Order: sequence, then structure tokens, then C-alpha cells
Amino acid sequence: MTVLNVTINGKTMEVAEGTTILQAANAAGIEIPTLCHHPALKDIGACRMCLVQIENMAALQPACSYPVIDGIKVETHTPRTLEMRKFVLEMLFSERNHYCMFCEMSGDCELQKQAYAHGLAHWTYPTPNPKLQVDASRTYFIMDHNRCILCRRCIRACGDVVGNHTLGMMSRGAKTMVTADMDEPFGDSTCVSCGTCLQVCPTGALVDRRSAYGGRNKDVDTVNSACTFCSIGCRVNVITRNGRPLRVEGDWDGHNQGVLCLAGRFQPLETGRRRVTTPMVKRDGALEPATWDEALAAVAKGVQAAVPGKIHAWVTAATLDQPMDAVVETFRGKFGGDVKTLEAAPPPGETPNGGAMKDIDTADLVLVVDADPLTEHRVLGYRIKRAADNGARILVCADGDNSMADFAHEAFPLSKLDWALASVTTAERPVVVYRAAMDPRLRAKLAVIKAVCIPLHAAANAARAISLGLNNEADGDAEALYILLEEQALTPEQREQAHKAPFVVMHACYVDDVDGLADVVLPAPLWYEREGTFHNIEGKSERVRPAAPPPEDIWSETSVLQQLSLRV
Amino acid sequence: MAKPKIATDWMGDCAGCHMSLLDMDERLLTVLGKVELTSSPITDLKHPPEEGVAVGVLSGSINNTSNVYVARMMRKRSGCLIAMGDCAVLGGVLSMRNAFDIKEGLRRAYIDTESTVDGFIPQSDELAKPIRNRPLDQVVKVDYHLPGCPPSADAIFHVLNELAEGREPVVEGEALKYD
Repeated sequence: MTVLNVTINGKTMEVAEGTTILQAANAAGIEIPTLCHHPALKDIGACRMCLVQIENMAALQPACSYPVIDGIKVETHTPRTLEMRKFVLEMLFSERNHYCMFCEMSGDCELQKQAYAHGLAHWTYPTPNPKLQVDASRTYFIMDHNRCILCRRCIRACGDVVGNHTLGMMSRGAKTMVTADMDEPFGDSTCVSCGTCLQVCPTGALVDRRSAYGGRNKDVDTVNSACTFCSIGCRVNVITRNGRPLRVEGDWDGHNQGVLCLAGRFQPLETGRRRVTTPMVKRDGALEPATWDEALAAVAKGVQAAVPGKIHAWVTAATLDQPMDAVVETFRGKFGGDVKTLEAAPPPGETPNGGAMKDIDTADLVLVVDADPLTEHRVLGYRIKRAADNGARILVCADGDNSMADFAHEAFPLSKLDWALASVTTAERPVVVYRAAMDPRLRAKLAVIKAVCIPLHAAANAARAISLGLNNEADGDAEALYILLEEQALTPEQREQAHKAPFVVMHACYVDDVDGLADVVLPAPLWYEREGTFHNIEGKSERVRPAAPPPEDIWSETSVLQQLSLRV
Repeated sequence: MAKPKIATDWMGDCAGCHMSLLDMDERLLTVLGKVELTSSPITDLKHPPEEGVAVGVLSGSINNTSNVYVARMMRKRSGCLIAMGDCAVLGGVLSMRNAFDIKEGLRRAYIDTESTVDGFIPQSDELAKPIRNRPLDQVVKVDYHLPGCPPSADAIFHVLNELAEGREPVVEGEALKYD
């Protein structure tokens, strides 16, 4: 590594080759104003806010994209740089509608923050204010072109981070516009609504419909947690105000690198479903609200009436370690019944694993076997597309429709796995991504090749379920059946089978899931109210932290199971 | 020595800036100890005196022909002119209207409104004519800008006090706000 000397504002330091002036300044605690710069994105020097003066250079240079040269001397805050930055801001304000008083972002806007910092008490240049489109064709967020400063952060997030390449630029100069595909409405474009662009937008151009006007950054609480909607387990920040969740943002420091998908960022907050808020007991054929005491007594009665060994439990493999352990302890350990998972678990056999998300970034070949990550494990799918941008070869070996196959260099049916594996052996840093529950004979083939393997499970905490020896194979007819459902859903077959049990207890979040099936309903906390741990796609234990307290009458799942265990 | 005179007036605005001015509370007495308030929309005398004032303060945007008249009169009679509030400085909420045709807007307001029966657009030579909305400095020269919707009482006090003390008012830090 070559070490270079740089002097910034008279302070000399050593930095590694390739460091930009901005990075060197930040490391030295010198703040240079920026707008188009974002730590997660590649710098392109679009906005010119970070212009600095370099000794012996006539023109000012953008600090964000100017790499340090040995012996370079930089001044960041001279009268000339300050004047130029103010000029840049005045030009930005003259282009579109940047009236703060009717903007959703006012208070959190980076453009506004810079204008305040540079003492812009009024706008020097005329504001022609073209009437531009507001694109509300996407379900969860809005693009208001009038607020856009063309910093291209959204475009870089879409292309470089997510690998989706929906967003781009159209026209030149003051007529430049951010567009989707060939100037389609965003909702009709190839946009996957992952919301990464929304998360990086510095102004009010991209607005989250749900959290808009819900509170400024100073008014909200942020809790770092994990998404449990698939087995990737993306790190998230849940933003709440007064205990009400406003939005979910990706954690830039997580293995997902800030990226989330539609199902993790938006859908969990917009279910529109009626929640189970109190315990319920069936009386005269209808479910009626009950106290915890009545509900637990009813469960105890139903369980005790059943023949031991016919007291079964079904548990979603999406649940956290603690409730899953408690179900196994209570139903297998104490009641002597069977416990199975609702989701498909891998049949016995070796499950090659150990791969990390970042292995995909450095892979020269990614083989996807019997899985469709772009549909079921989307953040991983985006990562694979990004790897393809960086030169990795993508092979898909799967039967049926597969959205990943459209982006693959070669696609094989599953019967031709050997052909695909032959390519893997010629690669230097291959990564194999496969469906964990696929045929054990195919899994065995993966186990012997020299590649980093990443199994994709059907639910977030399937790894725990496997280690507890749980699977979803049919158990015998139950006389008493307990289902830990949370916000998951039963398949029609599972529902039919559950109907056969004379006594059904459902520990669930939503009313429509339990109606017509349960004899006793126990309310479960929602995903952002739960606390515990689970194992993510890399096999690492992750913490889930409650972002908001559950409603008063909803207890944690583990304490309900403890209470139940005590009563039987 | 006679105290310097000050006059205020409003144009296309919501009166919020003048409310904020009153929010100076007991500091009003400090200011009034240093200057003489000749006229304002919230005093008996509404118009700046013909002999002129040292400082004129205008809030609101230029939104019709009457506003132009008020702005020009204040400019003519003031030594220095302050644009107070977002409407006067930047154009304000009323500039949302600029995205639409004025006739279309009048029609929507006076005729097409759901609750209106037999509506008509008022037309009289005595009424001001609506024009494209714009900030004050697009019509007359402005010496000091004090944005904010409304500017805080602290910011207004700061500007008036600095002027009364014979200093140049600089709006920055906490005093500088656009909403």
C-alpha cells in the first residue's frame, strides 16, 4: 500500500493511495459541505458543493471525487470556496420549486441545511419554477420532480447498490430529468420498489407516503433491529414516533448494506388487517374476548382432555429462537407431543453453508440452484445482479419460471445440474446459492464441490428449527393442536388439516387468520414489538429489538408459553 | 435627538408575520423605546407618513395590483426596506398558485367551488387585479431579507434592534429559517 502525504488547512497527514480529499478531510475532522455525496454511493462530483482549493491549481476541485496526490496542499474554507458554494446553492434554488414552507422534508432536508449554513437569507437569481410532474404511480412512495436537485443519488443507489438500473437521466442542462427506463411512469417501469433511492434522497423529491409529515428526525426514535420476513435477516432501523412505526430503513452497516426489499421496507407496515388485541375463547360457536386467565384455563383444559402424545404444536419457522425453544420445551418436553414447522424444512442430509453476503461481491461466478432469489430472497437477488455488473458470471439451474433466469448468462433445467457444476469447477471464487429444502441428493453434489455455499431457507429462523430437529412432515391426527402463527399464514391444506383437530389454539396476530378455526386465540406481538434472537443467512446470531411496546393486553410469546406450561 | 421612525405594512400574507412581531412581548417596549412606530396594519394609522420613515417593513408577497401600490409607496417613503417573512422574501405559499392560470384559479374559487350557487367572478375598477405572485424584491429594491414562516420573534427583534442601534442586521444561525 502506497502512503501519500496530504496537507489540508495546514494539517499534514498520511493517507492510503486512492483516498479522496473528502475522505482525508473527514478523517481529520474537517467538515466539507456535500450534497450529492453519500457514504454508501460512488462519488461523481455532480453538485459542486465540496469544491476546494488546491495549491497551484487554477480551478477549484470537488473534494469528493478528487483522489489525493502525494504532497498535495488543500484549503477547504477560503473566501473563494465559500463564495463558490454559496453560488452553487443559489443556482440550485433558482432551478425548481425549493420553497421549504410547503415541503415534507423541511427540517431534515440537506439542501435546506446547507442554505442555512451558508446564510442564504434570500435567493439572488430568479426562480422560473417550471411546473414539473409529481409521479405517484408507485404504491409506497412518490417522486416530486419539482424538489429534485439532480444529485443522482437515487440513480447510483438503483444502479450501483441494488443493481437494478431502472433510474437514469434524460435531456441536458436545466431540462435534465430523472427518469425510469425509457421515461415510463415509475409504477409501470422495471422499478422493484425496494426504496433504496428513497432512503438516499437528500431533499423532498422522494417522499414516503406513510411517514410523510409523520415527524422530523428530531421527533422520532430509531431502533436497530432485523427483518424476519425471509432468511436473509437484513439489518433494519425501525423509525417510530410515540410508539407508532413510521417507516423502516436499511442499516448501511448490516450484511445487507442498507438495501431492503418491498416486503421488508413497506409491506409490513401496510397490512390493513385487523389485529388480534385480546385473548379470545370460543363460546357457543363464536370467538369472544376473554381475559388471559380464562384463555389460559381454556387451553389447559383442552390440552388435558387430549390423549398425551396427541397434543401437537405447529410453529412458524419465522419466529425467533426464544418462542421456538419455548414451544419445543412445552409441547415436546412437557406434553410429549410432536412439534413441526409450518414451512418446508430441508430433508435430512448435508446442507452445505458458511457463505456470507459479501462473498457474492467478490465472486467471479454465482450459481443459483433450485431457487428464485429475486422473488423470495430479493436482497440477495439484487446482490447477485450487482455481482453480474462487476463481471461475475451468473448461472441459474432451476425448473419452471424463474425471475433470476432473465439476468443469467446461462440457464439450465435442474436435471442439468452436473453441467452447471462443471462451470463452477473452472471458476476461481464461485458462490453457490441454493434452496435449502431441495432434494438431498442434489445437495450432496454441492457439498463436494469447491465453492462458497449459501442455503436459502423458507423462513427466517429455519436454521434454528433444523437444529431443534423440527420439520414440516405430517404428524398424526392431533386431539389438541397449538399453532404459533404470528403474522404468517396457513396454506389451504394446513388449514384443512387443522380443522380435523377437535381443539385448536392459535397464537396469532391477525383476526382473519384465526376466524372459523381456533377454539382459543392468544394474541401475539407484531414483528416490531418482539424481542429476541435468530440466525441470519450467514448463520450469525442477530438481535431483534422492540421498536414499540405491544398493546397493553398482549404478552410476549415466551411468557404466555411459560404460563401455559405452569397450568398444565 | 428624535427617535428614528419605523412603519410596517402587509401585502399578500396571512398576518402571521405581524403576529410574530407582537410575540416580541415585553421586548416591544425595548424596541419602542428606541424607535417611533408611525404606522402599521395593527395601529390606528395604516399608511407610512408622506415625510418618510427610516425603516419600512413589509410582509407578504406581491400578488395583486394593490400589493404593487403598497410596495412602491413603502419603498418611496422608507430609508431602508426590510422584507419580512417567507412571502415577502421568497414568494411564499401563494407562489403555489403560479403553477396555474389566474383565470382558471378565479373560476375554481368563485364559480366551480362545490358549495357555490350562481357564482361570479367579482369585477370592479375599485378592486385590485390579481397578478402572478412574486417576492417583494422582484418589484422594488429590498435592503434586508428576513425569511421565516413566520420569522421568530427573536429574529424580528434582532433585526429591528440591530437597525435601531445603527448596525447592519445579519440574519444567520437560529434566526435564519425558511418555514
